[in-house]
Amino acid sequence: MKEVKLSVDVAGIQMKNPVMTASGTFGFGEVYEDFFSNELLGAMVVKGVTLKARKGNSAPRLVETPAGLINSIGLENPGVKVVLQELLPSLKKYDVPVIVNISGNVVEEYGELAGLLSSSSVVKGLEVNISCPNVKEGGMAFGSSPEMAAKVIREVKKSTNLPVIAKLSPNVTNVVEIALAVEEAGADAISLINTLLGMVIDIKRKKPVLGNIMGGLSGPAVRPVAVRMVWQVAQRVKVPVIGMGGISTAEDALQFIMAGATAVAIGTGQFVNPCCCVDVIKGLEDFCRKNGIKNINDLRGVAWNE
Amino acid sequence: MKFHIPNALVVSHKKIGDKIYSLIFNAPEIANSASPGQFVHIRCSNGLDPLLRRPISINDVDKEKGLVSIWYQVVGKGTEFLSKVKVGECLDVIGALGRGFDSNIDGKNVLLIGGGMGIAPLIYLGSVISKKNTVRGIFGGRNKDVIPCILSESNFDYELCTEDGSIGREGLVTDLLEDQLHKEKIDAIYSCGPKPMLTAMQRISSREEIPLQVSLEAVMACGVGACLGCAFKGYRDGEEAWLKVCKDGPVFWDSEVKW
Ligand SMILES: Cc1cc2nc3c(=O)[nH]c(=O)nc-3n(C[C@H](O)[C@H](O)[C@H](O)COP(=O)(O)OP(=O)(O)OC[C@H]3O[C@@H](n4cnc5c(N)ncnc54)[C@H](O)[C@@H]3O)c2cc1C
Ligand SMILES: Cc1cc2nc3c(=O)[nH]c(=O)nc-3n(C[C@H](O)[C@H](O)[C@H](O)COP(=O)(O)O)c2cc1C
Ligand code: FES
Repeated sequence: MKEVKLSVDVAGIQMKNPVMTASGTFGFGEVYEDFFSNELLGAMVVKGVTLKARKGNSAPRLVETPAGLINSIGLENPGVKVVLQELLPSLKKYDVPVIVNISGNVVEEYGELAGLLSSSSVVKGLEVNISCPNVKEGGMAFGSSPEMAAKVIREVKKSTNLPVIAKLSPNVTNVVEIALAVEEAGADAISLINTLLGMVIDIKRKKPVLGNIMGGLSGPAVRPVAVRMVWQVAQRVKVPVIGMGGISTAEDALQFIMAGATAVAIGTGQFVNPCCCVDVIKGLEDFCRKNGIKNINDLRGVAWNE
Repeated sequence: MKFHIPNALVVSHKKIGDKIYSLIFNAPEIANSASPGQFVHIRCSNGLDPLLRRPISINDVDKEKGLVSIWYQVVGKGTEFLSKVKVGECLDVIGALGRGFDSNIDGKNVLLIGGGMGIAPLIYLGSVISKKNTVRGIFGGRNKDVIPCILSESNFDYELCTEDGSIGREGLVTDLLEDQLHKEKIDAIYSCGPKPMLTAMQRISSREEIPLQVSLEAVMACGVGACLGCAFKGYRDGEEAWLKVCKDGPVFWDSEVKW
């Protein structure tokens, strides 16, 4: 069989393949360079950025659970100024779209961040984090009500011409309602899921393990929840969906694509296998070749068929 | 340069104490690029539980043969799985990771102070720096069960102590350290072990104004600076900051740690 077409278009962001890095698990593109070339990726999503530098939450910040990881990093980052001046320029050399994940304490901050980041020629899209479970203000609170979620997205859209991706939280009663609200507000794509709020108690110390008490669960444990949410949302919105949560193999990624995702992102899987992203890309190609599929886009949402 | 060796052949795996093992695997890339104090990040099982890799210090390397040695103690699921690996099987390893000890020293009088499994990285350090320096080890633990029995193969002098006196002198490594300080002038101390031991060490080294480097631990996910999870409170450029054990360390200068 001839070349398999793996390239996808996410709201105008042209990607060589549907595999991107999940925000907060890839630093600012420097950490996995020894293991594979960033240029192999569909897109690079960098760590969540805030207006001012954030030191992050107190330790311990990690606890492992069966097939999962709970983190309470707390959006540690050097702030948008340093990101613009020192971190993003070094990504210019890669032929791969860079998407910056943004978080604000108040609605206006999202707009301000979007405006500032639009000035960078490196940035090809903004992922709006209205779903971080690890910060006191903002974060998940914005993603829990359709009105607030829409308000944040409208504010960002006002301040940028870049494609705007709304990153949704799974910690809601009705994810479809939120998805429809952000689409209505102008989101060009939707990514889901962020982490599920969870906690672990150390029975010897009779105390929560994490310094921040609660954190966000990711990894294979959350995958069925993530696939279900992509399935529900992708059938109701017109904009492309980026699926993530517990992907570590091409088979996992295919579940998301068949549930309706245009692209997928990998986070925790990368911690386990530092070549996870490229292994998944290769696996997708192999699957298509074996099954006579010429274009990966033909697999999108195939599981919806009766 | 970090390497991912998904199929590092295990060439030796021995019990060297109570629940303590020595394991040697073939990974020329890691053996050749490693420096003392660095660690490897090991996938202990192919399953999903435990999901994450486990960090283990490099205990020694044989650059010619391309071998890497580790010493580890079984404390939970991951290390339990690791203890079941047989010679001839393969391990999935990333390394060499982190910032190791400052081993670029010459003509100094150096003490290596290790507690329990903290002895492991000091063996590698000692074998490297003893070529150009006078090196002495002070190693200890709760009892003889936590002291690796192949310690005697090391190529520098050392003294042992245990809290119950079951092997070596009865007492703490800090007791032996105080004795040593009465006898001679020490230029530098390198240490690895449980946090309370390191804290006690730091009090002595700062009183005596002896430069101290310590190897610290934290629960890790990525091991390469991607997740920002292995944080501990320290100082960067004089300001309080959450340093990352996997990337900024695991070895830190005394002044970088908030004791
Ligand atoms: C840089 C570095 C180097 C290390 N070098 C060595 C070494 O050379 N030899 C060795 O035996 N061990 C070493 N360790 C510790 C080793 O990583 C842990 O013992 C191991 O991860 C435990 O995994 P587990 O699945 O067996 O236990 P788990 O099931 O994860 O935990 C069992 C128990 O051990 C505790 N624990 C888990 N991780 C750590 C940790 N990092 N430090 C202290 N307690 C922990 C848990 O709280 C729990 O009570 C090192 C750790 C770091 C960070
Ligand atoms: C250590 C860590 C840090 C994260 N940081 C961010 C972040 O800064 N912004 C964000 O939107 N999501 C963040 N996430 C969520 C991931 O991007 C992703 O949505 C989630 O982990 C599910 O994917 P996974 O199971 O493949 O990890 C983080 C996740 C982890 C594990
Ligand atoms: S373990 Fe991920 S940053 Fe250190």
